[in-house]
Order: sequence, then structure tokens, then C-alpha cells
Amino acid sequence: MTGELTAALAAEYAAIFAYGPIGVKLTGAEQTEARAAEAAHRTLRDALVLALDASAVPPAAPAYTLPEPVVDRAAALRVAVGVEEKAAAVWRAALPATTGPQRRQALDALTGCAVRATRWRRRAEVTPLTVPFPGKTP
Amino acid sequence: MVLTDLVRDGDEKDKDHHRVRRRAVLALGASLAMGSVAGCGLLDRDPDPPPAPDALLPLADQAVTLAGLYGLAAADFPDRAATLTPIAEAHAAHAQELARIMATPAPSPSAAAGTAADGIEARVETLRTAEKAAYDAAVAACLAAPDHRAALVGSIAAARATHLEALK
Repeated sequence: MTGELTAALAAEYAAIFAYGPIGVKLTGAEQTEARAAEAAHRTLRDALVLALDASAVPPAAPAYTLPEPVVDRAAALRVAVGVEEKAAAVWRAALPATTGPQRRQALDALTGCAVRATRWRRRAEVTPLTVPFPGKTP
Repeated sequence: MVLTDLVRDGDEKDKDHHRVRRRAVLALGASLAMGSVAGCGLLDRDPDPPPAPDALLPLADQAVTLAGLYGLAAADFPDRAATLTPIAEAHAAHAQELARIMATPAPSPSAAAGTAADGIEARVETLRTAEKAAYDAAVAACLAAPDHRAALVGSIAAARATHLEALK
């Protein structure tokens, strides 16, 4: 189980990092949404740090590679969709390795990421807004 | 010469041996065939009870029903089809994937409730109510699922949540 949760933690670190530059290129309600998304990923990170043994918690890297430079609003929305899809994939992968309250946590995390990806697609006017199997990688 | 005869004798013995074995195999096959007829229940007086329905059957039922509801709504309200059609397709894909892994037969499509007279708002409300119930069921099913089913059922639960978001 530790392997899947460590992978989820790495994805959460990367998501928190990405929302910094994303938020800078957004304004108004979109910026508020980006801050809320970042806060949600911080909550997920904190829960993972608590769930993992202190010795198994890798530290966050100083920087993470973004799929493209966040130069404007359009790029910020694209990167935000990608961040949520990536995080959804690691949480989906964690489901078979969990039981009880931890599975509930992983499912809520997967669902939260999938719903935020849908919101960002709507902001970016990407269709379809939804994917058939959130978190499933081809 | 003697050696050749010995070899030939050996060959013929092998042939005899094969013939005997072939008859034995045929006899075994016939008895297996009889056994399988009996297993079909034709000769059984006390057939086994049918297996319990798969735990995922309600989810598959919902997916089939929702695929129909969204499909009808997309046909009745073409200006919303860009949102509704992919959701109908997602539910159909869920039904197909669930049918693939279930031990018992998949549900057959049932006629969706005829609500064509309703306006778009009422129809979306109907979809939202059905989707919310289906989401709750999928969450419960994911939490109860064995490990090898958790990812698929979890994805279906998350997908249903995104459908509620897309309906907003």
C-alpha cells in the first residue's frame, strides 16, 4: 500500500507546485477557484503525510516540470486540467491497495480531482466536459 | 535382418497399443458427453439453485437506464447534446465494462421513462436525481468491492460525480 500512497504524495506535491503559476495567470472567479483547488491538494497532501510512516515520507522537490510554460490564461487552464487528470490517476491506482476509511479517502480524492478537471474543461471551453473512466490511463 | 524384424514387431506393437488407446479415449469421451448432458439438468431431478446476483448488478442496471435517459434528453434538446451525449456514452461504456467482469448476465436495456413533454429544466432535474442516486450507490459499491474491482467501480463513482457537475 505504501508504494501507491507514496506515488499519490508525489502527485500532490506536483499539483500544489503547479497551482502557483496557474493562479498567477488567472483572475477573478477563476483565480479563486485555483486557490481553492490548491487548498484541496494541500489537504490531500497533509492526509497522506499523516497516513504514511514518517520514515516513508519523501520530501517535496524544489520544483516540478510543468507540461508547458504557463504563459497565459489558456495555458493555465490546460495545465490545470492536466494536473487534475494526473492526480486522479494516482488516486485511482491507490484504490485496490486500500480498505475501509483509507479507501474512502482515496475515492473522495479521485472524485475531487475528476470534478475539478471537469470544471477546468468548462472554463477552457473544452468538450466533452467529462471522460468515461476518470483516472484510467490508456 | 533380425534387428529389422525386431523393429517391425515393435512398430506393430505400437500400432496395436495406439488402437487400444484410441478406443479407450473414445469411450471416455462418450461417458463425458453423457455426463455433460446430465449436468445440463435434463437427467437431473434436483438442479442447483441459480447463483446469487452479482453485487455490481444494480450499478449495471443504473448505467443502462441512465444511458437511455441521457440519450433521449440529448435527442429532445439538441442544443444540450454536446454535454448530454458524451454522458450517455459514458454510462453505456460503464454498463459494458461491468457486464464484462460480472459473474451473472448483464441487464437488458429497459425502456426509459417517457418524459418528452417536460421542459429542459424538468428533464435535467430528473437526470440529476437519478445520477445522484447512482453516484451514492457506486460509492457504497466501491467501498465494499474486493480489491480487483475497486479501481473500475471507483472510476464509475467519480464519473457519476462529474456528470452532476456537468449538469450544473
